[in-house]
Amino acid sequence: MEQDSDRIELLQGTLDMLILRTLQFGPAHGHQIAKHIQRTTDDLLQVEHGSLYPALHRLERKRWISAKWEPAGKDLRREFKYYRLTAAGKKQLVTEESNWKRMTQAIARIMWPAEES
Amino acid sequence: MWWQKGREDDLERELRADLELEAAEREEQGLTPEEARRAAGRALGNVTRVKEEVRESWGWARWEAVLQDLRYAGRTLGKSKGFALTAGITLALAIGASTAVFTVVDSVILRPLNYQQSGQLVVAWERIQVLGGGGATGPNPRHADVWTKRATAFSGLALVRQVGGGLALGGGHPQLVGTVMATPNLLDVLQVQPLLGRGFEPDNGVAGKDAVAILTYPLWQSRFQGDSKVIGRTVRLSDIPRQIIGVLPASFHFPNGNALRSFRSKQATSNAPEPGILIPAVIDLNAYGWNGDYGNWVAIARLHPGVSIGQAEAQLNTIQDGILRDMPANERDPRFHALSASVQPMQEVVVGDSETGLWLLLAAVLGLLLLACLNLANAQLGRTLSRQREAAVRSALGAARWRLVWNSLAESLLLASAGAGAGVVLAIAALDLFRIAAPIDLPRLAEVHLNAGVLFFSAGLTVAAVLVSGILPALHLGRIDPQASLQQGTNRSAGQRQSRSLRGWLIGLQVFGCTVLLLVTGLFSKSLLFLLHQDKGFETAQVAVAAVDLARNNYREAPARVAFDDAVLRNLRALPGVQSAGLVSVMPLEGESWIEGLQRVDQPEHESIINLRWVSPGYFETMRETLVAGRFFEERDRNLASAVLSESVAKALWPTGSPIGGQVRTEGRTFTVIGVVGDSRTTSLKTVPPRMAYLHYKDRPPFATFFFVRGRQPADALIADVRQAIWKDAPDITIARTKTLDAQLNDSLARERFQTSVLIIFGMAALLLAMLGIYGVLSYSTATRKQEIGVRMALGATRATIYGLTFREAAKPVGAGLAAGSAASLLAARLIEKLLYGTRAVDLPVLFLVAALFLAAAVTAAFLPARRAASVDPMEVLRAE
Repeated sequence: MEQDSDRIELLQGTLDMLILRTLQFGPAHGHQIAKHIQRTTDDLLQVEHGSLYPALHRLERKRWISAKWEPAGKDLRREFKYYRLTAAGKKQLVTEESNWKRMTQAIARIMWPAEES
Repeated sequence: MWWQKGREDDLERELRADLELEAAEREEQGLTPEEARRAAGRALGNVTRVKEEVRESWGWARWEAVLQDLRYAGRTLGKSKGFALTAGITLALAIGASTAVFTVVDSVILRPLNYQQSGQLVVAWERIQVLGGGGATGPNPRHADVWTKRATAFSGLALVRQVGGGLALGGGHPQLVGTVMATPNLLDVLQVQPLLGRGFEPDNGVAGKDAVAILTYPLWQSRFQGDSKVIGRTVRLSDIPRQIIGVLPASFHFPNGNALRSFRSKQATSNAPEPGILIPAVIDLNAYGWNGDYGNWVAIARLHPGVSIGQAEAQLNTIQDGILRDMPANERDPRFHALSASVQPMQEVVVGDSETGLWLLLAAVLGLLLLACLNLANAQLGRTLSRQREAAVRSALGAARWRLVWNSLAESLLLASAGAGAGVVLAIAALDLFRIAAPIDLPRLAEVHLNAGVLFFSAGLTVAAVLVSGILPALHLGRIDPQASLQQGTNRSAGQRQSRSLRGWLIGLQVFGCTVLLLVTGLFSKSLLFLLHQDKGFETAQVAVAAVDLARNNYREAPARVAFDDAVLRNLRALPGVQSAGLVSVMPLEGESWIEGLQRVDQPEHESIINLRWVSPGYFETMRETLVAGRFFEERDRNLASAVLSESVAKALWPTGSPIGGQVRTEGRTFTVIGVVGDSRTTSLKTVPPRMAYLHYKDRPPFATFFFVRGRQPADALIADVRQAIWKDAPDITIARTKTLDAQLNDSLARERFQTSVLIIFGMAALLLAMLGIYGVLSYSTATRKQEIGVRMALGATRATIYGLTFREAAKPVGAGLAAGSAASLLAARLIEKLLYGTRAVDLPVLFLVAALFLAAAVTAAFLPARRAASVDPMEVLRAE
């Protein structure tokens, strides 16, 4: 268990967006979401459970994701709380995605000003 | 909370699943199960914090804080049971009393009458300039008929009168039932649909077709057991068989004979029964003249939608002018200046003059609540000071200001809620008690019950109680400076001087309120005593009265009635222990009635308006009235047209010379004056003695007759014998009521007695509260000033000085409150002056008495704390420093 000092601190809003995106691929429970983010970013982003679960419940309260306990695991004996994207959540994801793109473009213009064409 | 628990469990489950997965992964990486679990735990982080964060996202944090403080407040109260109990009981009593009184005020005054669009219902009065000023009186039936035809402002007009009837079902003596006699359209005017059967048809107003009756719901339940086959049954009412054609719904309440009087007199009929049965009135207009027969009927009308009372009144007045113009010349009275009319909302008529008394009651009870809250505030303030340290610590630990305030307020809220809950229960019990003990002439008594509006009022009172009693201490704590408080010792908390002056103010306010209440109580008591002890002109002890209704069927002819009266008087005089017996046509102490004009025959300009009464020989002797001149009635007057006048009438008609032997004329007949009786207050204790003229009962034997019997023993013992004597020769006679004359006297003052007793109860309660307040404040003060007292004593103060110190502390607020209260109550007394008899608003003896009473109470309350202060051992106190 290395203390990953390269971990980038995720803003709360960004974490929400990542969760929504993850769920776009299909339903998942909390652990899976965390692992997915970790794997996909090659351990660069490790989501702390202390942030993940409050975020999940917040998104659930806003009705962008819905939750249901479903049996899973090797022999379907254990149950996990699976989250799914809702229609409203899909729309929210699109919004956040475009906001994020606009923000990164704005930041890029400051950092690396391009010649005005 | 249960709904939270579900979510909590769910979260727990979710986190545990995650933990297990983590542990499984680590195991796969090669750790032992034990290490894996620990590692997983560390990866998850602080579970508690995660849970808290999730909970915050649920948004319950604030609610939890509120509830937590409430639970804490509950525990704290549980620890100081004494305080909680006294405070709770005080609040319960005060809120309960306020709720009960407000229920009455709401049911009687505020709530609209229980009819469809009752705002349209009005009562139309005639005003005749000749009879006793311009008083409003019920209309002459002929005039009312003209109104019905010409007054387009009304969509309907009905005439109503209330009588007592004897209802006989099968065998047994008939029982009295309140009977409403009305023109057949009454139910249409009121827009009431019968529950069973049907209402009246216009036909029922014709003689011969009027032998029908409609029952009210309570009567149907009580006498007919709610039998659904009651329609078609025949009953005998006042000896007339009638067929029951309908039953009215339970929501129907008709004002009884007291509330809806056809004659505006200040006195009420005792025991006016609640209306039980409705019968049609047959009004043969040919039997009435155009002038006279006023005051027997009440005209109830419904305004057309959009028509105002002013418009209706104007229209009626125009019609009245027309009636006066077209009146046949022989019927016209030269003394008439004008015939006019007035229209009043029906609710106003029904509620009448009970309004002032009820508002007074409400003010008194709310004042009591205020006193209770002030007391509570004071007590809270004391407790607050000892909790300052706790609040300082909380504040230092970062508690938000609202939290500190809420902390303190939570206690008040719990107390007030508990008090309100108990209070509502008490109110319900009090209302039941009230229905039994209420003054008999309180209108709409049957409609008094709890409703949603009253419960809202109660809730509002609770909130007010919380605010008044809790807000000051709470705000005080909110403003705490943690550093200053923590540095001081608990015995010398900061801001003590400020809080002492605050408590002084609270005591002052309490004394103020209490003084006003006591002064008003004193004035009312004095007024009542005056009424009871003034010279009445007659004696009520040891007299029994029986009211008899002679049914028009069997006793239609005068000789039959005379025979009955003679027989009863004979039987009564034969009873053992009876000194004298007599009869009269009207019950005493029930107001003026049978008002007629009386003139001297030889000098007709000498005339007077008098109350006419038909009496038997023995009446004056039974009442022990004073003979001023001439003689009272004897047997021989049966065949002579004799009259006895009251002193004031005699003087008015014969300013010089003796009236004895003179001739007077009334009701179209001539009589000879045989005697003059002293003025007596036989119609009402609250007015000047009325002008009376008495005739022998043979002249016009009354249908409603009142037999009086004076015995040698207390009157109660006589009553059973009196009933037997009456029924001996006529077992099917309705005896409307029997009572002692003393009881009648008391009943006529029922309203005043009720008001005074209630005020006395409140006054004593307020005094007790004030005493508790003073005691509490001084106790606390001495406890906190122990060191100061110790030092003073060490420096040479005597016990007497310490006593003086304590008393002086109380003296300022008490004195100020007393002075302000006296001043305010002089103003208040002016408002209630019209409710007082023989007592002026500024009454020095009462003022001094109240002040003395209060000072005595204050000294008593201050005594124990003062003694405790004086017995402080200076050495012990100084050593504990």
